[in-house]
Amino acid sequence: MAKRVSVDRWLLGATLLLVLLGLVMVFSASAVMAKDRFGSPYTFVLRQIGWACAGVLAMVVLRRVDYRKYKHPAVVFTLLGVTMLLLVAVLFLDRSHNTHRWIRFGMLSFQPSELAKPTLIFFLAFFLETRAVAIDDWRRTLLPAVLPSLIFSLLIVKQPDLGTALVCMAMTASVLFVARMELKYLGYGVLASLPALYYLLFHVGFRRQRMLAFVNPWNDPQGAGFHMVQSLIAVGTGGITGIGLMEGKQKLFYLPEPHTDFIFAVIAEELGLLGTVAVVALFGVFCYRGMRAAIRTSDPYARFLAIGITSTIAIQAFFNISVVLGLLPTKGIPLPFISYGGSSLFITLACVGVLLNISQQTD
Amino acid sequence: MAATAKHEGRLRLSLFAAFFCLWIFAICGRLLWLQVVEYGFLTQKAARQQQRSIEVSPPRGVIYDRKGRELAMSVQVDSVFAVPSEIPDQASTANLLAHILKIDPKEMLAKLESSRSFTWIARKLDNNVAGRIRALNLKGIYFQKEPKRFYPKNDLAAQVIGYVGMDDEGLAGIERSFNQRLSGRPGKMLISMDARHRWFGRVEKNPEPGQNLVLTIDEDVQHIAEKELDAAMQKTHAEAGTVVIQNPKTGEILALANRPTFNPNNSRGLDPKSLKNRAVSDVYEPGSTFKMVTIAAALEEKVTSPNEVFDCQMGSIVVGGVRIHDWKPYGLLTVSQILERSSDVGAIKIAMRLGEDRMYKYIRGFGFGSQTGIELSGETRGITKPVNRWSKMSIGAISMGQEIGVSPLQLVSMTSSIANDGVWTPPRIVAGSTSVAQGRTGTAQTVVFRPGQQHRVISSFAAAEMKRMLEGVVLQGTGKNAILDGYSSAGKTGTAQKINPLTHRYDRVKHIASFSGFAPVNNPAITVTVIMDSPLGEHHGGTIGAPIFARIAQQVLEYLDVPHDIEVRNPQRMLLRAKAKPEEEMEGSPDHVGEEVAENDNQQEPPAIVASAAQPGGQGIVPATYHSVTAAETEHAAPADGNPALLQSSKSLLAKTGTVVLDVDAAKTVPSFLGKPVRAVIEESEKAGLEVDIFGSGVARQQNPMPGARLPTGGHVTVQFAR
Repeated sequence: MAKRVSVDRWLLGATLLLVLLGLVMVFSASAVMAKDRFGSPYTFVLRQIGWACAGVLAMVVLRRVDYRKYKHPAVVFTLLGVTMLLLVAVLFLDRSHNTHRWIRFGMLSFQPSELAKPTLIFFLAFFLETRAVAIDDWRRTLLPAVLPSLIFSLLIVKQPDLGTALVCMAMTASVLFVARMELKYLGYGVLASLPALYYLLFHVGFRRQRMLAFVNPWNDPQGAGFHMVQSLIAVGTGGITGIGLMEGKQKLFYLPEPHTDFIFAVIAEELGLLGTVAVVALFGVFCYRGMRAAIRTSDPYARFLAIGITSTIAIQAFFNISVVLGLLPTKGIPLPFISYGGSSLFITLACVGVLLNISQQTD
Repeated sequence: MAATAKHEGRLRLSLFAAFFCLWIFAICGRLLWLQVVEYGFLTQKAARQQQRSIEVSPPRGVIYDRKGRELAMSVQVDSVFAVPSEIPDQASTANLLAHILKIDPKEMLAKLESSRSFTWIARKLDNNVAGRIRALNLKGIYFQKEPKRFYPKNDLAAQVIGYVGMDDEGLAGIERSFNQRLSGRPGKMLISMDARHRWFGRVEKNPEPGQNLVLTIDEDVQHIAEKELDAAMQKTHAEAGTVVIQNPKTGEILALANRPTFNPNNSRGLDPKSLKNRAVSDVYEPGSTFKMVTIAAALEEKVTSPNEVFDCQMGSIVVGGVRIHDWKPYGLLTVSQILERSSDVGAIKIAMRLGEDRMYKYIRGFGFGSQTGIELSGETRGITKPVNRWSKMSIGAISMGQEIGVSPLQLVSMTSSIANDGVWTPPRIVAGSTSVAQGRTGTAQTVVFRPGQQHRVISSFAAAEMKRMLEGVVLQGTGKNAILDGYSSAGKTGTAQKINPLTHRYDRVKHIASFSGFAPVNNPAITVTVIMDSPLGEHHGGTIGAPIFARIAQQVLEYLDVPHDIEVRNPQRMLLRAKAKPEEEMEGSPDHVGEEVAENDNQQEPPAIVASAAQPGGQGIVPATYHSVTAAETEHAAPADGNPALLQSSKSLLAKTGTVVLDVDAAKTVPSFLGKPVRAVIEESEKAGLEVDIFGSGVARQQNPMPGARLPTGGHVTVQFAR
């Protein structure tokens, strides 16, 4: 039996620092917009603080809950069912920003696709552990393991939210990879998804434009390349030390979604290279400590869970940063812990709670 | 088995970790690239879109009259610009703005979409338009003060001051010729936004205000000139008119007025005719006023003296093969009388005694044929041919002011040089400039412009003789209408036929009536030149020009507090003036000798063509007095430099008729209205095909033109009624 050790301070510290920095940056990026829209510059940041408190509370609570408790069909299949229901339901609810992503309860809004990520993680960990001996049996292991991810991803693409769908698939692939699935299956999977990906990227008008803009944003800096160019300008303007907290200008009229998807550009502009490297380093620390927990546990279930959680957060973080820096085409993926978005922050923090619990049960 | 599995599991995890490590490296590399290497480039890009440096127009210098009253000034008005990215609904904003500014909403929308950070919406708006836009309180619409040119006196001295275009660029007059001094240097304003969502303008460089100019124009004198010119235009129905008032001693122009005129405050879509500063840019044949030059030159060269008697040969002389008639036959006249009565024959004989070279020397000496150098754009040199291009007839023609083109300003300067004891003074209209104090340390700098180089043309003795003779013109000759009350005055009348630009021949009905004179005679304070272009009906310098001169000079002298040099309300002079009969003020528009300027002549001279003049002597039409002169009769053979065209045309013209009678078909004889009531006058004039301008009521006491005169159909007759 694994002995209990104290909490992973590095993991906890990195998480809390990122959350705190996130609150500051959400305020900086959204104050003007919030004042414009709601009359108070604090609107966004107050909501975010609320969610962050709830999230940290969830994290602290879940750190103390033995992760094995989730290894139960009742938990896993309830989650799968509820997520499925919400993902279908959201398509029939009202549109905002031309998409079906949110379910609103009065003041609060909630993205079911955020719930899809932990649901898939718990399912995969639960399922793969039971099938660990026959991991390469594609009919009885791989197909059932991948099927929920596929269905969820398709529903999420329908919202449309290709970014989150890709994160779900990437996370699934990561867990399967670590579960020692034969690499050829991974290759097949990638090959099979290529035509679909190609279709989604180049036959949907706005994505096609984004792709072309990604290839050469300076070609059309006022049109398709606008977001990309503005993001690069924001990052470049920061220089080494940044132009100062709250002083950024790009967030005002130029950056799209400065408080969510492009918050890293605001960080870059206001805090400079020092700030950006610090953020990347914090994510690096988080990533390293998450994997360390996965390596050090002897429980395959815990390892899958840890890898699922760590990879989800790391993939989102590095993907988001890469988009901001023009390394990857624009996708609507938020920066974990930092971007404005209550449900995402809450669920991510809850997942970190589970990860902390795993890390303190290693031998 | 388990060990290898565990080993592979670790390997996979390590590979997975390595993948993220690589990704992190890529990100850090990219960050270094963007934030360190590309820093300059991207910062520049950011500045370009976040900030916008706009030019701040400097306040244009004020133009003052000589007493510091503003003739042109700049007022701060609103310009509107937009920060399109702050506008929530561009389409509706564009619609609202377009409605107020009365432009196409699509155009406005295109403007708003052209930039995200800055675009001008409208510049230099009227206060009420700007107010209406401000009242909308639109988001993303801002106001910026800009100077706009304003002319508080509207059309006063419009052609002198000129006007500016949309960008405050001087387009005419002083505004144009002193554009550089007046405009100053534009400043720069950096418009950028702060993190609190506000646009603010930070002045990078203060605009340097333009220098202020002080003109020699006196607003009151100018006003007198304009008022009288307006009245004269109304009365004579002239096409155009010019009045120039100068201080003969300093050359300063006190007033310069032209009609038609314009209001520089709305300079769009103006008639080019009204923009023209005729005083400096018009070239016309001066006619008899030019006899001043002829006689002054002869006196200076001592080829004659005021009392020498010339035989005016009963009004006929042959010059260069062409016979020239005086409008009225004179016998023996002294030189003074030649000037007083404006005898062409006398002037020609004096000029012939003077000779071509000396005549030319004085023409140039009095400033003809070269720019006076006044600080106004578009000044003409006039048209003066060098002697070697004169024909045999030229000396005759030039002596009485034909075959030469002068500008009104040149005529003023010539008259002033006689008034100024024979010294020609360049006319000037800008007294100086003052720069506005720069910053705290700078001081205002006033520059007084130096007058140009003066030169003596005739001796003060000759000038004194000329003055006396010109006073004689006013007292005994054609200029009686120029008699002033309390001041002595001197001057010369002129009546010249206009050259029809279409036919290049002398126009039969269009004349230029002028008077150029000065007062008081012994210590002249002002020179006034009046030129009326194509007055309808009465058209003599003595009857049209002289009265305008008198009214203007009288008011201006009193305004300037010039002491009276003659008893006020001197009964003798009053009587003299009152008794001035139109007949006496008349002078023939002389026969036009003139070298036929062939069409292929490469100089742009008005071809002075042998054209017969109708000689309205007051009673009926006078047949044109152009006689064929046979070769045998001529004193000289046909001009050697050859003007076959002239000879041919005159011969063919004359061979058929011998005498040319002009305007018989078209002209209407003016009936006598005197003693008739208004109603009868109207009926009679309708019958005669003439228009009457009626003044007063009762029975007709006076009419102009006189009965028997001939007018073209539809001509105006002014009738004064009294009880």
